[in-house]
Amino acid sequence: MAGKIKQMIDAFVNQRAQGNSVLEGVVKIKLILKGIDPKIYTPESADDPAIIAKLEELMREFK
Amino acid sequence: MNIKTAFSVKTDIKDAVQDIQTQLGEFEAKLLIFFASSAIAPDEIAERMEAAFPRAETFGCSSSGEIVTGRMLTNSLVAMAFNRQAIKNSKVEVLEDLNRESHRAFNAFERHFDKPMSKMDPGQYVGIILIDGLSGKEEQIMDRIGDFTNVNFIGGSAGDDLKFDATYVYANGKSYTNAAVLAILEPSTPFSFVKTQSFSPLQQKLLVTRADESNREILEFNHKPAAQAYAEALGTTVADAPNHFMHNPLGVVYEGEPFVRSPQQIRNNSIIFYCGVKEGIELTLLESTDIIATTKDALASAERELGGMSGIINFNCILRTLELKEKGLTDSYGALFSDVPTIGFSTYGEQFIGHINQTATMLVFR
Repeated sequence: MAGKIKQMIDAFVNQRAQGNSVLEGVVKIKLILKGIDPKIYTPESADDPAIIAKLEELMREFK
Repeated sequence: MNIKTAFSVKTDIKDAVQDIQTQLGEFEAKLLIFFASSAIAPDEIAERMEAAFPRAETFGCSSSGEIVTGRMLTNSLVAMAFNRQAIKNSKVEVLEDLNRESHRAFNAFERHFDKPMSKMDPGQYVGIILIDGLSGKEEQIMDRIGDFTNVNFIGGSAGDDLKFDATYVYANGKSYTNAAVLAILEPSTPFSFVKTQSFSPLQQKLLVTRADESNREILEFNHKPAAQAYAEALGTTVADAPNHFMHNPLGVVYEGEPFVRSPQQIRNNSIIFYCGVKEGIELTLLESTDIIATTKDALASAERELGGMSGIINFNCILRTLELKEKGLTDSYGALFSDVPTIGFSTYGEQFIGHINQTATMLVFR
């Protein structure tokens, strides 16, 4: 399977920024500092379970 | 005037606090932030500042040089007071043991502001973080704060005048080590942030392929020993590479904006940094530019955005201060802050979004 990480990153950025472009930038920088660089994930990127688990945890925590 | 600053260079703590009290006069402080040289005894300054301003919440930290309106100082005490017209609401909490994860501070913020941290509007609230500058925990704490809220936390790592012995944070009459003070403010006026690092990105990229983040150590860039890869990127030798650390740090660059990671030393072909870097992150080689010019531009931009400035808190990296001293530019830097009530200090690390180095992060109030 491929592309799940990009989907999750997009969903996470939407969840956090709610369409606010400044916040989108901040959220992406936070992800980069966590070691998840949004720009390297595409619909073709392999589904790395470790990254997916990390993103799931992040989405769960920000409620 | 709803924000007022004061400073003292008196060597006796009692006299210095009284000096601050006198300068603030009848100003009714609701919140008071202070930065104190490490020459000032930590327990005593925390207690005396609290006692001197019993109607205000007080917090601060030890420093490695202080900044006050128009001046860079050493061995001093600087303070910024906010009245009720400047700050509608505030809450100060302490993370008392940075080795242990705790949600107590976040829970307290949620109770106080009566809303979940995740629902707090970053345009309405701002966070300040002051953290033990020798704890090595800054990136971890900033990372966790960022997991729970969109409120921007800005701040600095406490200093001790380059002794690297012990640094302290202060809150409500007590001093703490291995701790962080977190404050959430609801200012009455708009506010903004300045992040200026006086570096421009070069073309050379270094991908972190092996790192020990907890020790802030990068073992490999591009699958090569880190020191070798850094030296090659600069076109120099490993032996000469440390001579470039100050002027050619590395940065996470997002849309042209660097988040600086500063090398500290080479150890067995690895490079120890002043902040942790995770594997898989691409770093860009940076080149230093003019601190005075870039800071002036950044302040002008903040002023344009806000339509005026009534107060600035400046968290200025100690490495920037050392460069300014080396070049005889401390007076010029201080002068950039002549027209706006300002306090600040020379930090062992700066915080904004994450933990960063060789940067000045500033909270600016309209």
